[in-house]
Amino acid sequence: MTDREFACTVNGTKVARRDVPDDERLLDTLRWRLGRKGTKEGCRTGDCGACTVLVGGRPTLACLTLSHEVAGESVVTVEGLHDDPVGRRVQEAFERESALQCGYCTPGFLVALTGAIKSHPHGAGERALLEAIGGNLCRCTGYVAIRRAVASLGTSRP
Amino acid sequence: MSFSLATPATPDEAFEFLAQDPEATAILAGGTDLLLDLEEGLVRPRTVVSLRRLPWREIRWNGPRLTIGSLAPLADLEADAGLRRRLPSLAKAIHAVGSLALRHRATLGGNLGRASPASDLIPLLLVLDARLSLVRRGDRRELRLDEFIVGSRRTALAAGELIESVTIPAPLPSEYLWQRVRLANDISQVGVAVARGTTTSAWRIALGGVTPRSVRLPSAEKLLGPGLPAPLAMELAAQEAAQRAPFTTDKRATEAYRRRLVYVLVKRAVAAVAASADALPETPSPSRTAKKSVPAKARSTSAR
Ligand SMILES: Cc1cc2nc3c(=O)[nH]c(=O)nc-3n(C[C@H](O)[C@H](O)[C@H](O)COP(=O)(O)OP(=O)(O)OC[C@H]3O[C@@H](n4cnc5c(N)ncnc54)[C@H](O)[C@@H]3O)c2cc1C
Ligand code: FES
Ligand code: FES
Repeated sequence: MTDREFACTVNGTKVARRDVPDDERLLDTLRWRLGRKGTKEGCRTGDCGACTVLVGGRPTLACLTLSHEVAGESVVTVEGLHDDPVGRRVQEAFERESALQCGYCTPGFLVALTGAIKSHPHGAGERALLEAIGGNLCRCTGYVAIRRAVASLGTSRP
Repeated sequence: MSFSLATPATPDEAFEFLAQDPEATAILAGGTDLLLDLEEGLVRPRTVVSLRRLPWREIRWNGPRLTIGSLAPLADLEADAGLRRRLPSLAKAIHAVGSLALRHRATLGGNLGRASPASDLIPLLLVLDARLSLVRRGDRRELRLDEFIVGSRRTALAAGELIESVTIPAPLPSEYLWQRVRLANDISQVGVAVARGTTTSAWRIALGGVTPRSVRLPSAEKLLGPGLPAPLAMELAAQEAAQRAPFTTDKRATEAYRRRLVYVLVKRAVAAVAASADALPETPSPSRTAKKSVPAKARSTSAR
């Protein structure tokens, strides 16, 4: 371990601290050091997508990313989505279609969909959006409502 | 698990870190394999050398030769318009890996460095005759992929050496088909790669997910003959492939199911390549270029 600085932006706010160990994962830094507990731990093995955050706009699994690997990047968690018109639109679609039950998986779905829409400047169709959440698991909804929410987003432009 | 992270800014700096304590140093690219091993304590390095700041990300065509930087994230590769157009089988195989969020970090070099028996990229790169460019301080060598992969999770990478890039000599007519339970984030029970050489016209078949080390199947390849195979030849080659390879039974599939899958997927992949063979832009034969292109119908068992 070193006292290297952990410096990046999280939801638009600059973060700079020296207490982040070299071997810590972004998931743990976000939840336990920065108090951003919207990002969930489902499996810690890359299988469930509950820990998805945006790094430089790209959906990324925070459980498989060392914190210091995102130095200098912009990180967006589910807490940051309401500051983003696209993020808000995705949240509203989930609310409208009741696409959640316990809600544990929801942050991952919202972040993955927001990232997908924003990375398709000419519009992301339903297929691209379903593709973007292929790695997200939900134990509760049976996915029907989630698919409805995705369909209701239509061809989404950022 | 406690280690210190080194983030060299240049290859030379990286070689220096790698030389300091080679026995206790691990290499980190996207981390999607390494972090699992660290979590489970399968590796206990004192130093992890991150390749994040090294260049090695480009996709470069030089005539028919394609060179891909080892650190290119898989998501960038599958999104590359040139790659999708000129070598759709590779874009498709890459797309099969994990999930989109995983592929934003996972790299090509990491997939080969891991040398997993179930890799979705190794079988196709084998039939495409891929070469790896390996670099070490003051030294560079090229290895064929079949020389590089020496066993399950074992490679010929020397201490202090890094994969710089992967080169494919020509974008052959080729196909990759696979079967798995869940589309995303699942490991293939069987992967089948088929390619047809344009100058030699020889067929190549490789299997993934069934043996510790992905291998080509010369005996089945021979049954397909030099030109476009008749239906009977395809049938016999598929049967041969399903019988010849040594298969494992594990939690993902039984031996019998794997043999059945190999039979079905080899037949489909050969048919798809045969249908597309005339359409490939890289065949420099003038008598053929006039022909109208017939795109190979994608017939993966995984309906994507
Ligand atoms: C949930 C999940 C699903 C997955 N699904 C699939 C799948 O469907 N198909 C599939 O094929 N794989 C799959 N994988 C495995 C993995 O994602 C891939 O193998 C990936 O390509 C590894 O790349 P990486 O950059 O993340 O590797 P890393 O973990 O960074 O590296 C792995 C190892 O390779 C070596 N290495 C990496 N880069 C270099 C280099 N430039 N030079 C020398 N050595 C190097 C290092 O020794 C390192 O320890 C999956 C993994 C997970 C967690
Ligand atoms: S906690 Fe990261 S994918 Fe499940
Ligand atoms: S709503 Fe409970 S896991 Fe998805």
